[in-house]
Amino acid sequence: MTTVATAPGRPPKPMSAWRLERLRMTRTPRAIALGAIYLFFGLLGPVTAKYLQDIVNRVQSGVQVIIAHPTAKDGIANYISQASQTGLIVVVVIAAGAFTFDARRGLSVFLRTRADNMWQLIAPRFAVNAAAAVAAYTLGTLAAWYETALLLGSPPAGAMLAGLLCGSVFLVFAVSVTAAAASVARRTLATVGITLGVLLTLPILGIAGPLHAWLPSTLVTAPVALIGHSSLGDYLPALATTAISSALLLTMATLRLARRDE
Amino acid sequence: MATTSPSPPSTSLPGSDGPAVATFGLTRDYGGTGLFDVDLRVPRGRVYGLVGPNGAGKTTMLSIITGMRHADRGTVEVAVPRRRVAVCPDVPEFDGWLTAFEVVDLARSLTACRHDDAAVLGALRAAGLADSASRRVGGFSRGMTQRLGLACALAGDPALLILDEPTSALDPAGRAEVLALAARLRGRCTVIFSSHILADVQRIADHVGILRAGRMLYQGPTRDLIDTYLQPRWLLRVAGDVAPALAAIRAQPWAIRAEHTAAGELRVDAVSLDAGERGIPAALASCGARQVSCEPLAADLESAFLALTKDTP
Repeated sequence: MTTVATAPGRPPKPMSAWRLERLRMTRTPRAIALGAIYLFFGLLGPVTAKYLQDIVNRVQSGVQVIIAHPTAKDGIANYISQASQTGLIVVVVIAAGAFTFDARRGLSVFLRTRADNMWQLIAPRFAVNAAAAVAAYTLGTLAAWYETALLLGSPPAGAMLAGLLCGSVFLVFAVSVTAAAASVARRTLATVGITLGVLLTLPILGIAGPLHAWLPSTLVTAPVALIGHSSLGDYLPALATTAISSALLLTMATLRLARRDE
Repeated sequence: MATTSPSPPSTSLPGSDGPAVATFGLTRDYGGTGLFDVDLRVPRGRVYGLVGPNGAGKTTMLSIITGMRHADRGTVEVAVPRRRVAVCPDVPEFDGWLTAFEVVDLARSLTACRHDDAAVLGALRAAGLADSASRRVGGFSRGMTQRLGLACALAGDPALLILDEPTSALDPAGRAEVLALAARLRGRCTVIFSSHILADVQRIADHVGILRAGRMLYQGPTRDLIDTYLQPRWLLRVAGDVAPALAAIRAQPWAIRAEHTAAGELRVDAVSLDAGERGIPAALASCGARQVSCEPLAADLESAFLALTKDTP
């Protein structure tokens, strides 16, 4: 029998739709999985960049590969390339699990017949998942920043903070896409599939030159480019598009879920 | 197209004497199945049993009333504020990492602004889960989960309680407890109770609606249904000679038929349930017969249901 211990005499904390989402993160492995994946890549990325030449030397056979001396930018780039894929998948899977309450009829009836409106259910799911994704990403970025400074030299603080902002805004967008996908599909797996399909299609659209600066996917690699010659001003169009798209997607998700038949 | 309004303002059905729930020409067509022109009237403060075979449209009806589905045509009027409507589905589901207390408290928090631990514990106690309040619900059996669904429904002090097949996963003792609980709510709260277990409905429902193939075949007091669609019949056992009792009953104007079926046994058919229940003891007393037992035969909802639906396609 699994019980949750409460201190004798201490009244239990009142439940709410917000506390439900916080507990979903902390009482299940979701928060640990998110934090661990970004922290892992945050620690691994700069080490890989630093010792890539040694790694290549150990595995090469015959052909000599010479890799340029790693810089701070390489350390952060390694982190971003690894975290932006695996980390994003974990963010989407966890968010999809929260948004697809209609996948289980009994749970759907429980929530829908009690909530005053759909926003009462969507807002905490969006806010808590977005906050958790940003917190995990921040944790990974701080780890990568520290280790890069230790192994490869300090990246500029302004560029790092600007990159953190861009990456965070993209993750908030990813959670919004997940919410919208959950209003199209009912099942968690289908929601994950649609979300990843949309997020992976965006960079392809960016191949068409003029669109690139406006696409949310541009923000994914911004933390690396900002350490180079780019400035935050270069990403203002993408930041604006992403913020507006996120709001529209959330609105769409709320309206569609409110209208959905059982 | 008429609008469907599952949660209209309480002014839609004014006065305390009007029905708690009414539908007008409610139709939801799933291509030949569904609901068709159903006019439901659920009297306020009563236990209303919605019965019918699988696929009759019971769950569709309840889903439309609760706003979970939309009707193609027709209107729904619920004379209860939305926050005081509680629903318990046939298979309740919850996040397994919450405790029973947290689940019921969440239900309370979504419907009532005021924090009230006592109300949550009271609902758990009423559903027989007080000892499991701190257990995570992921480990609950189906029966316990169904009780938890009921506790959630009770937590918000409902004025309208909608129970979809609430006893389907319970053992006989659990069924009896849930039925007794629903019966106790009579007068305090309107209860709509769907079931295909007719004995359960007869046990607690004072009004009944019979759905078949999406159409309402009968709606009214349970007792009237049995009276109307069944010829009331009793098996009488008397001590000693049955002939005086047989003659006395045959002489009664309400007696349609009286037969000697076995030693000490008589089968009596009456024009109505009421006439038989009043007349049999009086007739036996008038001839000095010693009654051992008087058992109603086939005067139950199931027989009435079968009688009502036998000629319906």
